[in-house]
Amino acid sequence: MIELKNISKEYVKGKEVFTALKDISLKVGKGDFCYVTGPSGAGKSTLLYVIGGLIHPDSGVATYNGRDIYSMNSRDINQYRRKNLGFMFQQFHLMPYLTVAGNISLACNGKSPSEKIEYYLQKCLLSDKRNKYPSELSVGEKQRTAFIRAIISEPEILLADEPTGNLDQSNSDVLMSLVREYNDGGGTVVMVSHNHEFEKYATESIELRQGSMQ
Amino acid sequence: MNPITLILKELFYRKVSSMIILLTVIIAATVSVAIFTLSKASENETRKIMREQGLNLYIFPKGTNLIDFYSVSNTGAFPEEYVDKLAESRTFDAVRHLTGILQVRYPDWTDPNGSSHQIVLFGYKDEAMQRFLPAQETMGFDVEKGKVHLGSLVARNIREGDPFTIKGSDGTIRSFEIAKRLDEGRGMIDQGVAFNLSDLQEVLGMQGKINKIEALGCVCKDGRIKNARNQVQAIFSDLEVTEISSIADARENQRLMMNKYGAFLIPFIMLSCLLITGLLFYQNITVRNREIGLLKAMGRSTSGILLMIIGKAFILGLIGGIIGFFAGHFVAEYFGKEIFRFTAPDIKPLWNVFFYSIVLFPLLWMLASWIPALMATQIDAAKTLSQE
Repeated sequence: MIELKNISKEYVKGKEVFTALKDISLKVGKGDFCYVTGPSGAGKSTLLYVIGGLIHPDSGVATYNGRDIYSMNSRDINQYRRKNLGFMFQQFHLMPYLTVAGNISLACNGKSPSEKIEYYLQKCLLSDKRNKYPSELSVGEKQRTAFIRAIISEPEILLADEPTGNLDQSNSDVLMSLVREYNDGGGTVVMVSHNHEFEKYATESIELRQGSMQ
Repeated sequence: MNPITLILKELFYRKVSSMIILLTVIIAATVSVAIFTLSKASENETRKIMREQGLNLYIFPKGTNLIDFYSVSNTGAFPEEYVDKLAESRTFDAVRHLTGILQVRYPDWTDPNGSSHQIVLFGYKDEAMQRFLPAQETMGFDVEKGKVHLGSLVARNIREGDPFTIKGSDGTIRSFEIAKRLDEGRGMIDQGVAFNLSDLQEVLGMQGKINKIEALGCVCKDGRIKNARNQVQAIFSDLEVTEISSIADARENQRLMMNKYGAFLIPFIMLSCLLITGLLFYQNITVRNREIGLLKAMGRSTSGILLMIIGKAFILGLIGGIIGFFAGHFVAEYFGKEIFRFTAPDIKPLWNVFFYSIVLFPLLWMLASWIPALMATQIDAAKTLSQE
C-alpha cells in the first residue's frame, strides 16, 4: 500500500543543515498499524507528512499502491489526500468558527452524511456536543472530534501525529480504543508518538533517531 | 460543507476584521457615489445657472462694432431665416440653443405720465430646434405674441394692470399686455422690454429682420469657439461669432469644479481603502495559516483555497457596494441641499451607478485580496500543522 524507498530530507536554517530523514525505507500494508516513535526532532512528523504528500523528500521514492506520490499532478495529489488519507494532529486544528458537526462535515467531500456523523458522534460520546464550538469543548472532546473528522470519509490510511500528546490518561485511552477499532475494521494507521505507551497496539513499530531508523 | 457556508461562518467569526474590511468598501463606495451624484447635480445646477445668466455666444453681422450695437438705435440687420438655416445645417453642431434676436435702442419712449426715456427693445424669436442634434430643453426668452416682459426699471414707470404702449415707426401707438415684470439686476434688460420677435419687427417696421443670434457654445475654453466661428462662416460668410468669456468661464469653472474634486478624491480614497483591505486580508491569512494548512492536508485544491479568500472579498465588496451606494446617495442629497440652489430637489439615486457599484466594488476588493489569496495557496501545510 505505502512504500518508502530511501527517503531523505534535510532542512536548511541559515547556515545550519538539519537532517530530518536519512535513507528511510518502509512498507505499510493494508490494515497495518505502524507505530513510529523517537525523541523530539527525530523526524517522525516529517515521515508522516512525506506519506501524506505534504513534504517533498530530497531523495527517494514514496509510493501509494505502486504510484509515486510526488510524481502525481496537483489534482491527483489532492485527490489522494482527500480520498485516501485522514489526518489527526496533536493540536487538533479544529476550525474555531465551526461546530463539532461542522468540523466533521468539512471532511465529507461535498456530501454531509448526517446518519454517519450521528453514528460516530454517539460512538465517541459527542452526541450532545454536536452544536458546540471548539472553545466550548474539553481537550478530549476536541481530539475525538478531530478523530471523527479524520475518518468520516472512510479513508484507507489514518495519519496521526502525536494524537495523545495533549490528552490525559483517560482521554488517551478512549481515543486509542477508537483508533484501534478503526484499525480492527481494516483501516491502516500510521501513528507518530514520542512515547512507547501505545506501541503494544502496533503491528509494526519503528524508532527514529536523528532521522535514521534504529 | 459548501465553500459559501465556510466563507460566511469565517466572516461572522472574525467580526472585527470583517467589519473593518466592510467599512473600507462602504467608505470608498459612499465617497465615490456621493461625488459622482454631486457632480451630476453640479452639471444640472450649471445648466440652470447658465439659463439664468444667458447664452455665451453672440453671432453678429460681420464688422459690427459692439460699441455701436449697444449704444446706437440700430446696427446692421440680417434675415431671421439665417437662424433656421443654421439650425437645419448638418455641419453646424458646435453651438446649441440658437435664438434670433432683434435688439435696438429706442430713444424716445413716453411713459404713462408723459415722461420720455431711452429704453432698449428686445425681440425674441422662438429658439430654433437643431434637427440633427439631440433635442434639449429651450433656454431662451419665451415671450408670447401680444405680450411683453418688462425690465425692472421700465416697470417702475407703469402701474400694475396697465398695458405697455409704444409708438411704432409708422406713428401708430401699439399696446401690449404685460406678462411679466422682471426682477432687477438682470443686466441690460433692466432698462428694456422683451417682445415676441414678430411684434417688435412690426413696431419697428423691420419685418423678417434680426441683428443678433445668441447661442450656447458648450465648452468654449477648449477651442470650440474656433470651431463655432469656422462653422458659422462656412455657411454665412457675412456673420461672425463673439464669445462672452465671463459666462463661458463661469460655466466651464462650475462644470469642472466637482470633476476636479472627484478626480482627486475618488482614486485617493479608493486606493487607500484597497491598501487597507489588502493588509487586512494579509493579516487574515496569517491568522488562518493553520486552517488553510488543514484544508490543504484534507485535499482542498489551490483554486478552492483561492476561492475561499476571494469569495470573502467578493461578498464584502458586494454588501459594501450596496450599502455605500445608498449611503453615498444620502450624503449627496444631504449636502446637495446646502450646495445646490436649483437642483437639490432633483438629486435622485442614479441607478446606473448602482449597477456599477455592485459590479465594480466586488471586483476591486477581489483584486485587493488577490495577493494575500495567492500567499494562502503557498502556505506550507506540513510546517503550519506541525507547529505546537
